[in-house]
Amino acid sequence: MKLKVYLTCIKISIAQATAYRADFIMSTFITLLSNIFFPLVTIVIYANGLEFPGWTMWEVLALQSIFSLSRGIASMCLSSVMWATMDHVRGGSFETVLLKPISPLFYIMTTNFSVSQIGLVVGSAVVLTVSLINTGVSGVLGVLSAIVLFIGGILVAAGLFLIMAAISFIWVGNSRLDEISSSVSNFGNYPLQIFGQGLRIVMAFVIPAGMIGSLPAEVLLKGVEPLYFLGLIPCVLVLMFGVWIYNRMIKRYEGVGG
Amino acid sequence: MGIISVKDLRKTYKTYKRSEKGFFKSFFRREKVLVHAVDGISFEVEKGTIVGMLGPNGAGKSTTIKMLCGALFPTGGEVKVLGYSPAKERAKYVKKIGAVFGQRSQLIFDIPPVDSFAMNKAIYGIPDDEYEKRLAEMVELFGIADVINKPTRVLSLGERMKCEIVMAMLHKPEVVFLDEPTIGLDVIAKATIRETIKKMNEEGVTFILTTHDLGDVEELAERVIVINHGKKIFDDKLHELKLLLGNKKIVDISLAAPFEGDAIDGIPVTKNDDGTKISVELDLDKTEVKEFLSGLGKAVDFTDIEIKELPMEEIITRLYTE
Repeated sequence: MKLKVYLTCIKISIAQATAYRADFIMSTFITLLSNIFFPLVTIVIYANGLEFPGWTMWEVLALQSIFSLSRGIASMCLSSVMWATMDHVRGGSFETVLLKPISPLFYIMTTNFSVSQIGLVVGSAVVLTVSLINTGVSGVLGVLSAIVLFIGGILVAAGLFLIMAAISFIWVGNSRLDEISSSVSNFGNYPLQIFGQGLRIVMAFVIPAGMIGSLPAEVLLKGVEPLYFLGLIPCVLVLMFGVWIYNRMIKRYEGVGG
Repeated sequence: MGIISVKDLRKTYKTYKRSEKGFFKSFFRREKVLVHAVDGISFEVEKGTIVGMLGPNGAGKSTTIKMLCGALFPTGGEVKVLGYSPAKERAKYVKKIGAVFGQRSQLIFDIPPVDSFAMNKAIYGIPDDEYEKRLAEMVELFGIADVINKPTRVLSLGERMKCEIVMAMLHKPEVVFLDEPTIGLDVIAKATIRETIKKMNEEGVTFILTTHDLGDVEELAERVIVINHGKKIFDDKLHELKLLLGNKKIVDISLAAPFEGDAIDGIPVTKNDDGTKISVELDLDKTEVKEFLSGLGKAVDFTDIEIKELPMEEIITRLYTE
């Protein structure tokens, strides 16, 4: 039953996204293009003789493409939840969501599936493949561990989107919420070694933004570090907190003047 | 007990007021204001009735409806609809109700209504055969066969509103809340929607209807609740509302020559610019029609006369301002 609802809503969401064909093609293409070129900054840094200590250029590119891939998958499912919630709360139309006999979060998530983020996912996958051809991987165990941590990264990115969406119930009309979420996530876009010890611990085990890119990349390229798996616990907790706070904030919804 | 029971319902919002000293001061320090949008409303509704809810803008009608739909949590009081507590048992409860918010669309803007209907079919778990039958019935009733396959954004307001009602009725709700369903519609669209509501009501569906259109109330509602400043100020049959300002009639009189005075038999007269048309508000508890006409014949030479009910607009205006 729930799967049927999910598939129908996703279908509707894709129909909605592709209703304006030129806009859909352009935005998918631009997202793809911008993500094929995101390695340019890293390439320029290394071309000028600078580096992230202990990381080759291809290793950094692999890390950054894992980061983009995690964010891309989380964005596809949940980034629109933040924008849609914000619009509903500001416009006073959230009651139309609450009229549906299903979880409001589930409804918003499925009817706002961001299919145009496919550009980000494909672009990141291409860069990751090219990078891994140049670096090689640390073995089967490394690949499997990286996949597990990668899933943890998706959970963190998704949890952050939900927390921001929840904040929009009380912080009405704040268009900077996405930037706050990105700023926290962006710590995962660089090797954790460049940060101080304290920040490293926070990014690995407290607000595990490191799980979005750097930790999976490290186990994939440099070998498994069992301690990193502890970071999966806060990943699950961030997502659970995101879901809990979102549902909690719905009670604070007040509508607008009619 | 009715299928809707509302006891001492309250909703208080916290909002902020801009300082009189300007926005700069308000930016740093905002004054909190508590708004009692709904302030202790109680009523019951029996199954199969149509209740009209009237009130000026900002009276608390929509907030009341939203609490009845489970979309807003009450600050205080108790609501029970079909045995459910709407906000607390929302997911189970909303399966049994339908709602149309005239100013908030449930249709998805960029795709045809038929796709939105299909989405509701999946969400409400309506079986295929039942869905097809129900959709065909409603499409025929509203005459919207050509409309439902066009993108919602290109539909006229009337077409969209008909589709909104179809969307709300597909799962056969027992209670339907309509918040200004005829707002901005032409007379033909209004008539179609009113006819549909009557037909659904004959099938046993209970309707709660908020509106500013007194025609909706006069044609549909057997009972009227009037809300102002968050409080219920009237709750009775429509007929009783008409008698609220007394047992009165309006008498419009056309005269052969301009009327010079201010009253006829002590009853004040309003007249047009040239004084050839006058109007009298007759309190039947004080003066009988026969008695007034007898005095009128002696006082003036009239060419035409019309006796009518006190207009609803007049009654409502006086009720709101009292």
